Amino acid sequence: MLFAQNRTVTGKVTTATDGQPMPGVNVTLKGATSGASTDTDGSYRITIPNGKATLVFSFVGMLSQEVNVNNRTTINVELLESPTQLNEVVVTGYTTTQRKDVISAMTTVKGDRLKNLPVSGIDQALQGQAAGVRVSASSGTPGGGVKVVIRGNTSINASNRPLMIVDGIPVYDGAVSQFGYGGQQDNAISSFNMNDVESIDVLKDASAKAIYGARGANGVVLITTKRGKTNQKTNITMDVQRGTTEVVKRLDLLNSTEILALQREALANYNAKQTRFEDIIDPDARGLISGVTDGVNVDWVDEVLRKGIYQQYQLSTSGGNDRTRFYLSGSYRDEEGVQLNNRFARYTGSFNLDHKASPKLSFGLNMSLGSTKNRRVFSDNAVDGVYGSSIRSLPYYSPYNEQGKLYTPNDPNYQGFPNGNPVAEALLPRQVTYGAKVLGGINAEYAFLPNLRLRTKFSLDYNNSEEDTYNPTGTFYGSLPSIGGQGYGAYAASSLSIFLNSTVLTYNTSIGENHHISALLGGELLRSQGRSSSVQGRIFPRDEFTYIASAGVVDAGSSFYGQNGLVSGFGEIKYDFKDRYLFSATARYDGSSRFGQDRKFGFFPSASLGWRLKEENFLKDVEFLEDLKLRASYGFTGNERIGNFQFLGTWGATTYNGSSGVGPSSLSNPNLQWERTREANIGLDVAFWKGRLSFTAEVYDNVTDALLFAEPLPATTGFGALQGNIGSISNRGAEFTLRSVNFDGAFRWTTDLNLSRNDNKVVELASEQPLFRGFTAAGVGATNVIKVGEPLGTFWGLKYLGVDVATGDALYEDFNGDGRITTDDAQVIGNAQPKLIGGLTNNFSWKGIDVSAFLQFSYGNKVMNYGNSFLLNPGTDLRVNQTRAALRRWQKPGDVTDVPRYEYNNGFNSYSSSRLLEDGSYLRLKNVAIGYTLPSKWTSKVKLGTVRVYATGTNLWTLTRYSGADPEVSTLDGSTTAQGLDFFTLPQVKTLVGGVTVNF
Amino acid sequence: MKRFSYAILITTLLSACNTVILDPPPVDLLIDDIVFTRASDLPSVRIGLYAAARNLGSPTVQAGDFTADHIIHLGTFTDYREFGTKQITPANGVVGALWGSIFRTIYMTNFILERLPTISGVRADDAKELTAEAKFLRGYANFIGAYSFGGIPKVTTTTLATNRTVTRASKEEILASVLEDYKAALADLPNGDPQDRNIYAGYATKNAVRAALARYYLYQKNWVEAEANATLLINSANYSLVTFNEVVTRDYNQESIFEFGYTLNDYAGDINNYFVGRREVVPSNQVVVALVSRESGNRSQTIDFEFDKQRGNDNGWTLKKYGTADESNRNFVIFRLGEMYLIRAEARAQQGKITGSTGAIVDINRLRTRAGVGLAANLQPPLLTTATQNEMISIIERERVYELAFEGHRWYDLVRTGRAQAVMSAFSANWNQKYELWPIPQSEIQRNPSLAGQQNPGY
Repeated sequence: MLFAQNRTVTGKVTTATDGQPMPGVNVTLKGATSGASTDTDGSYRITIPNGKATLVFSFVGMLSQEVNVNNRTTINVELLESPTQLNEVVVTGYTTTQRKDVISAMTTVKGDRLKNLPVSGIDQALQGQAAGVRVSASSGTPGGGVKVVIRGNTSINASNRPLMIVDGIPVYDGAVSQFGYGGQQDNAISSFNMNDVESIDVLKDASAKAIYGARGANGVVLITTKRGKTNQKTNITMDVQRGTTEVVKRLDLLNSTEILALQREALANYNAKQTRFEDIIDPDARGLISGVTDGVNVDWVDEVLRKGIYQQYQLSTSGGNDRTRFYLSGSYRDEEGVQLNNRFARYTGSFNLDHKASPKLSFGLNMSLGSTKNRRVFSDNAVDGVYGSSIRSLPYYSPYNEQGKLYTPNDPNYQGFPNGNPVAEALLPRQVTYGAKVLGGINAEYAFLPNLRLRTKFSLDYNNSEEDTYNPTGTFYGSLPSIGGQGYGAYAASSLSIFLNSTVLTYNTSIGENHHISALLGGELLRSQGRSSSVQGRIFPRDEFTYIASAGVVDAGSSFYGQNGLVSGFGEIKYDFKDRYLFSATARYDGSSRFGQDRKFGFFPSASLGWRLKEENFLKDVEFLEDLKLRASYGFTGNERIGNFQFLGTWGATTYNGSSGVGPSSLSNPNLQWERTREANIGLDVAFWKGRLSFTAEVYDNVTDALLFAEPLPATTGFGALQGNIGSISNRGAEFTLRSVNFDGAFRWTTDLNLSRNDNKVVELASEQPLFRGFTAAGVGATNVIKVGEPLGTFWGLKYLGVDVATGDALYEDFNGDGRITTDDAQVIGNAQPKLIGGLTNNFSWKGIDVSAFLQFSYGNKVMNYGNSFLLNPGTDLRVNQTRAALRRWQKPGDVTDVPRYEYNNGFNSYSSSRLLEDGSYLRLKNVAIGYTLPSKWTSKVKLGTVRVYATGTNLWTLTRYSGADPEVSTLDGSTTAQGLDFFTLPQVKTLVGGVTVNF
Repeated sequence: MKRFSYAILITTLLSACNTVILDPPPVDLLIDDIVFTRASDLPSVRIGLYAAARNLGSPTVQAGDFTADHIIHLGTFTDYREFGTKQITPANGVVGALWGSIFRTIYMTNFILERLPTISGVRADDAKELTAEAKFLRGYANFIGAYSFGGIPKVTTTTLATNRTVTRASKEEILASVLEDYKAALADLPNGDPQDRNIYAGYATKNAVRAALARYYLYQKNWVEAEANATLLINSANYSLVTFNEVVTRDYNQESIFEFGYTLNDYAGDINNYFVGRREVVPSNQVVVALVSRESGNRSQTIDFEFDKQRGNDNGWTLKKYGTADESNRNFVIFRLGEMYLIRAEARAQQGKITGSTGAIVDINRLRTRAGVGLAANLQPPLLTTATQNEMISIIERERVYELAFEGHRWYDLVRTGRAQAVMSAFSANWNQKYELWPIPQSEIQRNPSLAGQQNPGY
């Protein structure tokens, strides 16, 4: 070959779908080891020997193409997108691997799958996209809390959130702010721009997660941001979106005429029972509803809700040569909440840089900045919650007086608690939370040998929040003598920084042709520090003076500092024989400041096995079968998010009569440790017809024990609880993911389906006695219970048997059979865990037109419509409006209905019971997007690359039997044990957005 | 080789960072082992004791007044609806709060009694005084416990294992321990400095114990001792009746014997919030009628009518005895001179001493005279000249409402005089004799196996 005659072949490689040049495509001569790659224009030049030759064009994510050269000197190639993802590179913890070699349970979501979703957070975008991942937004408030649970709830008291990692940096994703806004929290991850995301990998089983040891039990979400590509021409992408938002549904409440009639009836029924004249309440004379008429009829919900304007502008650029690559982006997002005065604005910037200093040494940087301004309003479970009190408010009152001025507490005609004036509560206060998130990391990699590399990384995740509030005298807080008196202002600043250093050594080698080994050894130091301060001011001279500098009384000042840390070592060994039998073992040794003196370090091992049957001789020649892989894993992970210093017996500061002293806070437990999850997983990956159809099925069986548990103590001990590790929870489930390319070619239709089922069960608790959680509930103690044998999120109450046809009173099951209805008759009445959840996405594209439809569902979960304890309250409380269902109430003997008789002051009919429990199943058209990419013959004339115009809508259609506004909400944001409670929570919003993306 | 050296590097790095990262010192928390080891820790632990005990204040007021006929419920909280409709359940949060603060106080006392002797360098007087204060507060906590719940567990140690399974003692046994604690405290407490009222009435003194003993003997129907102890305070030069306006609006006035003290910065404010802020509860019509009666006189200042509040079920009346953080009536008054006159009057009446200089009438007239200050003659409470014993006892029952409404007495008074059933049945159709005791908190029965099946009758 040395003196063989050579010839040169040139050409250009483009994509088959849109004709864009493809840089970085490998062009090799079949049978040879070296080759060329295409440059930024997609052009290549390769020298090959004379004679018969075949060129192979390959690129990750595309179908490889083989072309016989014959006598040609120019060969242009169009590459088709590969329907199979076998060679796709996936991020697995501290390394990457190819999809075909993955032998653990993980799901990858590509960033472009999420591009049409106008949601603010990455967490929210994951909803319905990956099997085993249950995402629910707590409310329709922009920038609000989002709950992410992977493979079921593992913990009662520690966090249930997965570990979120962005480019190797664990990021804080909870609330930074201090002030409560009534159940709903904010969310640090919402300050991160989703458009910068290249892909998201969700790690689900022990073999994938054990490398994260004591933080892995709740699953790990790896977010990889976009980076420049080698030899890529600099391109600029601009994206503009504008649209509107509106709540998915408004409750149907009574009007003035209807509620007045109902209230009179409730009083008449009350009076009929009274034996003494002085107890009779004449509604008009005694003033219960005196002076009101149905002449005024206000729809309070309409008064506080609006159609919000949504807009987002993004600009990004990326490029690179053979030594340096970059990605740069900026965005502005402005989302008007559907509640008056609620608004979420965000600026983000991101910069990723990679530089190869020498073949051995390379550096990298990733930096992401986010700044948010969130104008918040009180919601949900707050006395002055805007949406909640607008629902409760009686329609015969009005927010404005005859002069059009807002009724405020100083006005004699102000309707006091619980009606208040939600319009004033929305409009008057200033409640702004300023958030900032800085995520920065620098890394260096040195290759001692091509197969022995050391990579070290220093990073910082800095979160800051400043909260500035002023409640003028016209508001509930501002006027209440026990809080503000004459204006109430509060200011708080909080910051949380997480420093991380991780160093990883990787080594891989092959022994002969058939044995491939790779190993990894690493160490990590993590330190998290939080600082916070707050101050409040009261008695302001006038409402024009709104900062605490002007307050007459400045008090309740506070500052605090907290920290925790993690010191870890970890390793991984992978081995495969002929790419047919695969084995991997992973372990991490974690020391945490949160564990007791006697349990400082935990060890978390895992192992997994894979068998690629397709590589066996008996299947090798089965054409239609592209891949068949069976895998199993087993291992342990932990949950260390148990709070700081829980193991210490501590005394805290207290005061008496102006002196300060110390009082006992908690009992000590030197054995306090992480929660431990034992996980077993079996999975099957199958692909047919070159990957046109592929599916993955998994079953798992996880048991979490050593639950962090404040074991309740009788008060006779002087304490309420002892922090310990007691109890266990089991999660068993199955997941199914299907991906199909139904049509390929000019008309392309793909379907993605994922289904998951998780059975959650409390296996063991500290004692047989159930634990009560959630809201205190009339007649039964609490709305939720934790009980052995039942899942977390179990509802508690009396069992409602309907309405007595003769008397109109509620009938409850006498559970203990003692002939009376008491607290002791309360029982488990349902739970919030769905039986099946899933998502179905269909994508169509044809000649520049693309359409995608994404359906998401939850089946078999119950929602407690706790709002109905007010809104359908059989007359217990006459100061709240009622839902239309109240018109079905029992009125006379013989009425067959499900709503009891209305009687003032009678608590019996409104006991917390299964009357409030509803089927929360839903099927929701989460997103529809229609786009059109303008033909390049038009756009190239004006020197543009691609131009896509699109329209997208979220939550446009919902199928549910739930009678409340939205089955998807949860009042107690982030609560595990009291999930699925709907208590005046703002429903999710439907969004209609139009946009254009320009690439040049 | 290189791999090996890096492994060493990492290991070194890890151990160096171990202390900084893995064992950071806790912030603003003291660890158990070092909290009470030096003589100089004594003042801060003493404050901790009072801080624990003062949590008895609010639930005691709620027990005394909310359980009885002094409130109606307007708000939305289940706990208060239960008080309003007289359907109190073992799950009631206020019931749990009272129980919890009783045993928290007892824990602090036991902790001090156990730990104090092990600390060297404590002055004998300091040790004696702190021991006496702790016993006084433990005695008061047990006293409230016995009359709210009946027999409660008798807790005498801080040992976790013992206290987790302690069973109910008899009411008599608890009350015997109260007397023992009070007597021990009386011997060792200081007389206190009457010049500094914040300290004099904010911390335990001999006089505070005497007041506690007067009430103790009254409840025990030991009329002679009740009269004797009340007389000691009435005759003391350190106390005098102030105007009733001052009773309502000023903490630590000349009449005050013992209060649980709060300041602007640590004010709990819950009673004020329930009546004024939330209007969760408001004074009942019955108590309003009583307080604005002529007999009550200027003691009507306990409450106030606000026109703009009157609507619907809300009678517009509000409570003035507990102010906001900015006002100077933040404290819970536990003992004051006014109550001593009432105790003595009742003790005398029960002994048949009605008229004359040692008769009940003198004491009642003393209070009625004060209640007439600033009122026109025809509006002043009528002074008594004569009454039968039975009349006198019912006069005193009314007088206690005028004087002590919303200071946590009414329910205890009705129960101890055997009048609860008659008065409360008239007030609420839901009243049941079981409400003469509060239920043992549900959670307590669930958590302590020895209390299983020990719930008070009827619950």
